[in-house]
Amino acid sequence: MIFGLSVRPVRHLLWLCAAFAGSLNFALAQPEAPGWGLVPLMHDLAQVRSASARFTERQTMHMLSAPLVSSGSLTYVAPDYVRKEIQSPAPENFVLDHGSVTITGGPDQQTHRFTLNDDPRIGGLVEAVRATLAGDLPGLEQFYTVRLSGGAANWQLLLRPKNPDAARFIQWIAIYGSGNRLTELDTASSDGDHSEMRVTEDASDAK
Amino acid sequence: MQNRRLALGLWLALLAVCAIIVVRTPFRTDMGAFLPHSAPMAQQVLTEQASSGAASHLILLGITGAPAPVLAALSADLAAQLRQDPEFIDVMNGDDRSFAGVQNFVWRNRYLLSPDVTPERFTEEGLHAALENDLALLGSDFGGLMQQTLPDDPTGEVMTLSRRLGDPAGPQRTDGVWFSPDGRRALLLVHAAAPGFDIDAQQRALTRIGDDFASTQGQVPGAAAARLLESGPGVFAIHTRDTTKRDVTRLSLLAVTGAVSLLSFAYRSPRVLLLGLLPIASGALAAIAAVSLAFGFVHGVTLGFGVTLIGESIDYAIYLFTQTAPGDSARDTLARIWPTLRLGALTSTVGFSAMLFSNFTGFAQLGLFSIAGLLVAAGVTRFVLPQLVPRGFFAPGAQPVALPLLAAIRYRRHLRWVVAAGVLVAIVVLGAHRGGLWDQNLADLSPIPAADQALDNTLRHDLGVPDVRYFAVFQAGSEQQALAESEALAARLQTLVARHELRGFESPSAILPSDSTQRARQAALPDAATLQTRLDAARAGMSFRSDAFAPFLQDVARAKSASLLTPASLPPALALQLDSMLVRRAGGWIVMAPLHGVADPASVAKALAASSLPGLAFVDLNQESDQLLRIFQHQAVVLAVTGSLAILLLLLAGLRSPRRVLAVAAPLAAAVTMTAALLTSGGSRISIFMVVGFLLIVAVGSNYCLFFERSATDAPAWKRSVASIVLANLCTVSAYGLMASSSIPVLHDIGVTVATGTFLSLLCAALLKRPDASASGAVA
Repeated sequence: MIFGLSVRPVRHLLWLCAAFAGSLNFALAQPEAPGWGLVPLMHDLAQVRSASARFTERQTMHMLSAPLVSSGSLTYVAPDYVRKEIQSPAPENFVLDHGSVTITGGPDQQTHRFTLNDDPRIGGLVEAVRATLAGDLPGLEQFYTVRLSGGAANWQLLLRPKNPDAARFIQWIAIYGSGNRLTELDTASSDGDHSEMRVTEDASDAK
Repeated sequence: MQNRRLALGLWLALLAVCAIIVVRTPFRTDMGAFLPHSAPMAQQVLTEQASSGAASHLILLGITGAPAPVLAALSADLAAQLRQDPEFIDVMNGDDRSFAGVQNFVWRNRYLLSPDVTPERFTEEGLHAALENDLALLGSDFGGLMQQTLPDDPTGEVMTLSRRLGDPAGPQRTDGVWFSPDGRRALLLVHAAAPGFDIDAQQRALTRIGDDFASTQGQVPGAAAARLLESGPGVFAIHTRDTTKRDVTRLSLLAVTGAVSLLSFAYRSPRVLLLGLLPIASGALAAIAAVSLAFGFVHGVTLGFGVTLIGESIDYAIYLFTQTAPGDSARDTLARIWPTLRLGALTSTVGFSAMLFSNFTGFAQLGLFSIAGLLVAAGVTRFVLPQLVPRGFFAPGAQPVALPLLAAIRYRRHLRWVVAAGVLVAIVVLGAHRGGLWDQNLADLSPIPAADQALDNTLRHDLGVPDVRYFAVFQAGSEQQALAESEALAARLQTLVARHELRGFESPSAILPSDSTQRARQAALPDAATLQTRLDAARAGMSFRSDAFAPFLQDVARAKSASLLTPASLPPALALQLDSMLVRRAGGWIVMAPLHGVADPASVAKALAASSLPGLAFVDLNQESDQLLRIFQHQAVVLAVTGSLAILLLLLAGLRSPRRVLAVAAPLAAAVTMTAALLTSGGSRISIFMVVGFLLIVAVGSNYCLFFERSATDAPAWKRSVASIVLANLCTVSAYGLMASSSIPVLHDIGVTVATGTFLSLLCAALLKRPDASASGAVA
């Protein structure tokens, strides 16, 4: 462990988890309940046991004059299994299982493993996103300031890290959704880089 | 009168000269100094490394007994305090600072360190391939990580180096610091500035750790119940020293109390009591001086064992004082017993002198020590002591001590059958012993308690720093040659890794490439203008911004003209690692590359032997230490057998009668056989320390046998003679019997062997005495 893992790759993990927080949608448009807000939204998001989706991600980086576009599929099994398969432009697998991450088949063709416990900044952030998946609002608010805007049919969740160390690499995460369906996940890095991930759902067991 | 004064004067002069020599004598405690000069290089270096190598600086710490967040806070605070302390050169607890030194060094010097720095890599084609790879990585889950370093390092040298240097199996982290897999211990890895053998400095370091821990405990809420666990070579050395010191102090005090009470009762004269110490004290002084003159240094083990070996010289004074009849002078007594005493001393001297010819430096020192010590002690008993004994002294309280044995001797016709039966049973026991009589387990010799060893295993396992067992070892003429050859070795080992015969290895060249390799890498880097041109051409058609790699251009230019790395450039953690792999020895340098995950030792050994590197050896540390133990045991047995034969020859020359030799040797043989049987009964085995004990039984017991063989049963001198032997034996048995209660293997083993053996020698000598010894007319 001469080289501690950088917190950077985990940013992708955050996007991922946040994405699934939103993929727990109801298939049909849900009538807007009176008193709709953060608590009912969280409750809805926590219902899904498994889901799969497709994604397209556009990353704008200050080193590049044009954005990088990638696409692939996502799989989620409650409570803590997530699989992200990049299919284009180059194949790569990213698996989060019970707090440990395995990346295989990337450009270096190596297997990389690390755990979320490796760093409190990472662990805290990812646990917070997991709290979203579990519908655990107090857990989420332990790490982020959470602001909900819009309505049930068209909502936006804005997360800002409370921890200054975490804020040094993630400026904010914005999750857009409709009902319990997530449509987009935007992330702004503190260095100005920006990513937009659009999610289209394949299947969900949510009712 | 003239002669007596001369003797006294000579004795004092000798003491003075010896004292001067002893004061200037260097004492060494490293095991390497105890080994044979002809020991394989690997054994010498490895034993040296164990006491002074980089691994010996290591202190493993665990904090336990509180909830994880509290343990993490304690770990962070303790690390912060220790990092400010010059007693420690490296403190790692898994936080960012733990790696910062090495990370910065690798980052700053990546172009001198990376094996991927070749001219091809910095051509337009090479750079183009690297940038294409970078673009792919940017889009991957490593994009974030890549983007951090890409402007400085588009060719990915740090990635390459982190793969080579990094150990992915580090402990897991919780709250930013290392924890054991079960989450119950926060872990720290500390390198003390002092090597493991510098016990005082290690003690200081440990005290500092304890104090710092106590103060952090006071600051962190909820930490009152937390405990600090410590292990490592230095910790072991301190514990061993403390236990040994405690045991030796306690046992010596008891033994001295016992001997003083016994001898006070027998002599009833404090002055004579003190005089009794003169032979052994003079002997020890002369012995140290002799070893110092012959070897240039005295080993700590020689000193400890040597004094034990010449312990029988305490008996000389007891024989002299106790056998003096009322109204006789000590001088008359001496004239009477001197032939026996002389033969006894010579017997032991000859027995021990076999060690002189051992190629183990330690054994040879012990041989010389005991020869010089015993001869001087006997000389002092003969020429100095009689002049100092008060006129008219005799030991009034000696007789009662001998009464039980005298009673036994009266019934010896019957009791001798008991002895015969005992020997017979002993032979059967020894013959029936299964699984070898020798203790081959090194751990049984270790003074480190099993609980300490278990803790060490746990912490090492938690931290992922197992004891390395296999090494590739070779010798080189110079440091640069050693580094250059270890580069060739690394290439060779890499092929074994690719074939899955090794999981990994460490090499000094990975930390510090040879000068020629560093120069070659600098030469491979293009100058600034060329690099700019090639980079611009390489990124044509890619979306990288034109100024994206400005830091890369600067860093390459800096690396091209940088001064070469030397051992002084290394951060402490890497400097220690280098020191453990690249060792300076008289006449050259030795490289020891640790090998990890050796699948099949025989096949790796074969692969290394087949390589073109001359003198490259595959070393299995366990095998080497087992081998060392076997050589030790073999030597000990050879020495014991040679010594015994030499003793028999001497007795034959001194007694001039095979029958009398038998009368002396038979009881000894019986005693040794029964002792061996007792020691191995119940499946126990004989340790190397017990062999030393057997040698002592023969040395001390032969004196008993000689006295019994020579003296007549009817003379009043006979009873005094028996009393003197019983008195001497009681002192020996009580001293060694106390040693047997120690938990330290060396003390326990020698104690139990000598106490049992000398007591049995006394019994056998008394009971096997020929019924008609007086008829031979030897009243001596």
